[in-house]
Amino acid sequence: MSPYEAALDLLRRLDPTKVEQNLNQLIKLDPDLAEDLLASVDTPLKVKKDPNASQKEFLCCDYNRDIDSHRSPWSNNYVPALSAQELEESPFPSDAIRAVEVLANDSFDIYRDLYYEGGVSSVYLWDLGDDADADGAPNDFAGVVLLKKGENSRSSWDAIHVFEVLQEGSTQSQVSYRITTTIILHLNSEKKMTLAGNLTRQTERSFALPGHLSPEQSGIWHVSNLGSVIEEVESQMRNQLEVVYFEKTKDIYRELRDSSQEATTQNRSVHEEVVKGLQGM
Amino acid sequence: MSSSFETIIESIISDAPSGEVQDVVKDLTTIAGDQAEEAIIEAMTHYNVKNLIPIEVKGKPVIISEYNKKGSKFFDPVRSILFSVDHLNRTGVDVEDCDQKHTTEQRGLYEELDKYMSKNFTGNVAYAVYAKDDPDEVAIFIASTRYSPGNFWNGHWRSSYTYNMNSQALKGTVDIDVHYFEDGNVSFKFSKDVEHNAASSAVVSIKNLENEVENEMSASFSNLNEKEFKLLRRRLPVTRSKINWGKGIGTYRLGKDSAENQLK
Repeated sequence: MSPYEAALDLLRRLDPTKVEQNLNQLIKLDPDLAEDLLASVDTPLKVKKDPNASQKEFLCCDYNRDIDSHRSPWSNNYVPALSAQELEESPFPSDAIRAVEVLANDSFDIYRDLYYEGGVSSVYLWDLGDDADADGAPNDFAGVVLLKKGENSRSSWDAIHVFEVLQEGSTQSQVSYRITTTIILHLNSEKKMTLAGNLTRQTERSFALPGHLSPEQSGIWHVSNLGSVIEEVESQMRNQLEVVYFEKTKDIYRELRDSSQEATTQNRSVHEEVVKGLQGM
Repeated sequence: MSSSFETIIESIISDAPSGEVQDVVKDLTTIAGDQAEEAIIEAMTHYNVKNLIPIEVKGKPVIISEYNKKGSKFFDPVRSILFSVDHLNRTGVDVEDCDQKHTTEQRGLYEELDKYMSKNFTGNVAYAVYAKDDPDEVAIFIASTRYSPGNFWNGHWRSSYTYNMNSQALKGTVDIDVHYFEDGNVSFKFSKDVEHNAASSAVVSIKNLENEVENEMSASFSNLNEKEFKLLRRRLPVTRSKINWGKGIGTYRLGKDSAENQLK
């Protein structure tokens, strides 16, 4: 096992509410791990406000970070602002991909409103390979859809969907969406009870290209496909989280202590006494 | 070795679920190398005592704590044996006879605990009654563990009490940890301080207090599901149907805006 694999194994075992602290400690033990771990370990998302877009909130992760700033999906500017010299090196999506990104942010903002009734959403896209077709339609690209609810409250939900969109087949007639989803769910009661952690799953779905699409049609098509797959994945994972958090943990608890066995015996003897009493009447 | 290195090892090990400490140690050794060995053993010693980890000594589990420690060794008053601990493997070594044994009262408590444990606990149990400095007081420890690494879960119940046989005051803490890590990392922790000031029978009071803890935990689960989880993300939108993605998605917003405008 490499140090990187060992670090990932450790983070899967240690207290999920302390993932950031443990991540920092592991990096102190072996600074060479920093880049790989920061890129692959999901931590609760940070929220920033975009001064270029009426202080609208956006989410921050390693994918929209440059130096200590994060690119806002609303204005496409880095916050806090970077110098002109720094910006020369900063990553931005191509025009074709940025157009899809704008549409995706608008659509997932509606999705967020309908399912989360609050919270914050952000979508970031980046190009893979050639920027665009001759006519400006996006080719292969990748991205991340982020949704967060419950900042500054006892309980929180962070959904992180990292995906690749790849054209496939000899005639490039298929497009495949490969999505890795992590949901970080922390629940705390007023009493000293914590139910916290994360679950991850991978999904792959292919769609047949419906003939030739204009750049605008292509963007709408991609966002529709992504949207419906992510909507389905989140619904399935919400069920899975409910089962693991509220049923599985209780089942495991009963493998430690179960007083119902004794209670059943007691109830039975009480019941027998009642029956005896009735018979004696 | 710098002290911060040792602090990190100590902090990481102290955070490990009891069923996975050995895996955590293996990972730490891979990351930090053999130089970590000394710090790891030191941290494991603290871990096992702090978490009341049962140590296998000649076929039986013995909970180790500050109250059955003698120098660097530990003793079992039930079998009057003294042993060293291999903290990585949780086994007793260099076992020898000693003159530590229970008083009649302590023996009585221990036997009542035995009955309570067999009827109410389903895991691998260990329990102990140890003398404290104050001759009226005893320490009572309970542990129940179940490790199922092949199914990606493990659980640990532990409770510790101080019982004053003279004043009949009982005071303690119950800690429950459950870890589930298939396709993720989900941790359940519950901790509660409990007390009963007129415990004429310590074990009957422990049973009542622990049943209350179990009931309270059950209520907290329901509360977290109803009041916290359900508020984070809906199962379906208010419209009760999935979203119609695509060019027309903006109509959801138009619908909402016009509804809001009508309220203005």
